[in-house]
Amino acid sequence: MTRFRLWALGCALIATAFAAGPAFAQKQGGTLTVGLELDIPGFDPLKVGVYDTSQNIAAALLLETLVKLDDNGKAAPSLAVSWSHSDDFKTWTFKLRPDVKFHDGTPFNAAAVKWNFDRQKDPKNNCRCAFYISNTLSIDAPDDLTVVYHLKDPAVNLPVLLTRPDQNSTIHSPSAIQAKGDDYNRNPVGTGPFVLKSWTAGDRMVLERNPNYWDKGKPYLDRVVLRPLPDSQSRFASLKSGDADLVWADEFEADNIQRAKKDPSLQVLSYAGSGAAVNAFNTKVAPLDDVRVRQALVMALDRKKYSQALTNGLSRPARNPYGDGSWVQCKDDGALPEDPKKAAELIKEYGKPVSFKMLFTATPRGRTNGQILQQFWKNIGVNMEIEQVDQATIPARAFQRKFDVTPWRIVDFPDPDVQMFANFYSKSPLNLANFSDPDLDKALENARVTPDEAKRAEFYCEASRIINKNATWFWTFQNTYYAMARAKVKGVPKMYGGVIDVSHAWLE
Amino acid sequence: MARFLGRRLIYLLPVLVAVTLLTFLIASLLPGDLAVTILGDQATPEKVAALRAQMGLDLPIWERYLHWLWGVMQGDFGRSFRTGETVLAAVGDRLPVSLELMVIAEGLGLLIAIPLAILCAVKSGSALDRFVTGLAFGKLSLPPYLVAILLIYLFAVQLNLLPATGWVPFNEDPLTNIRSFVLPGLTLAFAEWPVLMRVLRSDMIATLQEDYIAMAKAKGLRPARILFVHALKPSSLTLVTVTGINIGRLIGGTLIIETIFALPGIGRLLVGAIYARDFIILQGVVLFVAVGFVIVNFIVDLLYAVLDPRIRHGRA
Repeated sequence: MTRFRLWALGCALIATAFAAGPAFAQKQGGTLTVGLELDIPGFDPLKVGVYDTSQNIAAALLLETLVKLDDNGKAAPSLAVSWSHSDDFKTWTFKLRPDVKFHDGTPFNAAAVKWNFDRQKDPKNNCRCAFYISNTLSIDAPDDLTVVYHLKDPAVNLPVLLTRPDQNSTIHSPSAIQAKGDDYNRNPVGTGPFVLKSWTAGDRMVLERNPNYWDKGKPYLDRVVLRPLPDSQSRFASLKSGDADLVWADEFEADNIQRAKKDPSLQVLSYAGSGAAVNAFNTKVAPLDDVRVRQALVMALDRKKYSQALTNGLSRPARNPYGDGSWVQCKDDGALPEDPKKAAELIKEYGKPVSFKMLFTATPRGRTNGQILQQFWKNIGVNMEIEQVDQATIPARAFQRKFDVTPWRIVDFPDPDVQMFANFYSKSPLNLANFSDPDLDKALENARVTPDEAKRAEFYCEASRIINKNATWFWTFQNTYYAMARAKVKGVPKMYGGVIDVSHAWLE
Repeated sequence: MARFLGRRLIYLLPVLVAVTLLTFLIASLLPGDLAVTILGDQATPEKVAALRAQMGLDLPIWERYLHWLWGVMQGDFGRSFRTGETVLAAVGDRLPVSLELMVIAEGLGLLIAIPLAILCAVKSGSALDRFVTGLAFGKLSLPPYLVAILLIYLFAVQLNLLPATGWVPFNEDPLTNIRSFVLPGLTLAFAEWPVLMRVLRSDMIATLQEDYIAMAKAKGLRPARILFVHALKPSSLTLVTVTGINIGRLIGGTLIIETIFALPGIGRLLVGAIYARDFIILQGVVLFVAVGFVIVNFIVDLLYAVLDPRIRHGRA
């Protein structure tokens, strides 16, 4: 009797433990259909150069990175299990996960990581992707499960920079690339939780559960179907009709997002990221070479009204280049007040008529943006002329400094160093504002070698104060990411950098 | 007839050369440089120059054109620099979608247009005629994207009868394939029928006033026989011309319809190639579309000869 009761108690305890544990919460099986915005051209970094969001979302399923971001935005193990650094933060050593295989059965190891890197870095390969790994001089593979990164400039936070499922950080199977040549681009082979089953160009990619995935028990879904649905209205209609379970969205679809919020069969996923939509003044051309003019232009903005006009108020005003999603949070970021009266006075003080051109993309959205800014600036007596150009022309014009004001974007990276240094350091080729200030340079230099996060944040806040005071750039809206899904879709983590990662999602 | 065919085929060549040459010229006028696209905006001028030389982009345009033409004549249409696909594979994947859409759209359009046109021609000037002509006019001013969205909301979201977007190859699942073409086909047919109906109606009215129709009536032939056999054939020359032009246009894909319904057709391939500066794909697709257009018009010319014996015998 006693033995029986003990046995029963044991059973009950085990049952409770299971019920409370994750094994019962996540359901196995099912197909998830995801509606993306764009056609995916392929995955070979040498061919496609840089991944866009649609490619990132697919890569998060097929390919893996050494490190991933956890729910708090900190580096967590993925293909690497641990890491350490030298005192000067210029050498980083990663220990790799053993017994991981690519989908083609070949082993994942240090040589594979090195091979991927060397291939992108090789000047003969002319890869556009090489620019983004210019700070890494080389990678060594001293043994099968160790890789050593040698950096040009120190990076105190290197692991988080290797987390994005992009062209540089994802590890492809070297033997598959060598075997397939030109065809590899559309037949990617990684270590990820899903394997490419079929791909109809322009229509759908079908991915199936990787039965040999190293993280046993995962993934939960049997199948993920990725479909490019380029039109926002029919994309939303596909979600409503059940042709898609989850769709990519952005704040320009404010009406659909608001409709989805009210619909009990749907859910809206959003993530307030770091970074922002920003604009650079060319401080070497009149009248923008005068700080009063630039300050006036920034103070003339009313971002709330701007957001209302642009996205029904969904866009979140930005005061600095970091944003709410960043670990850099400033008590004082030095943002100029929105004060059109003061702005008009500054223009009067300048004394000469203020007239310049600003670049916008040749899209209806670009035109709307231009017209809104034109109106704000007209109110303080400034004449801005809208110059609409092809999307591809903007970076080219920006690099050659052939602009008065150009739009730009601070992308949502888990560490601000890369972009802060590129855009604001005086000697950087991307210092679009043509502005140099020794204090700003000092703050950026200090920030990249200070391991303590609180102290680093203070250096970045100092940088923000200097840029805001000199009004060499202005920030309009923070990066916010959206996805809309059927209510049954669960387990989509924070959409870091706008990547909707459904690799560990499940259907209820 | 053989001479007629031969003469028409000879016209084909200069048209193709002119079209491909024009695309080459227009593509070279597009802002952006293929070498810069591949290398990225941060590339040094020396690297760009080296890649341009390696790809032959520094050669004069006529030399590049001849080089391309030489490849085409040997069956080598080239490969996309960003997808690695050959032009033949890319077009081969997308063309069936655009062709099927074209056949369904034109078929539905004619199915609506011909009976209505005949009805209106017979009852010309009646209330019915005025109503249908008015409807056609109203329909003409309704843009296809609006029709598309309305159809999607009605049939996919509200009634859940048909898929809102997407496509399945015919050989995988014929029923789903047809189902996915219903809404885009209807959208296009709605845009096509008013034009077809109006041209056939006016030609038909003219034909019905001919003496031989009066004679047929006098002989006591059944009205249906007079209309469909004696009147329809000679009235359909303009209809055939307009249909031919529409078919030619639809071979090139319909960007808006393909985008809204997420169909992987030629239109999206073409526009994607333009945005990505993928000139090899662009040039290849234009060539195929041009050949398709020319062939359709060639068939239209042949149909003239079938419909009108005077053309066949060179007495027109």
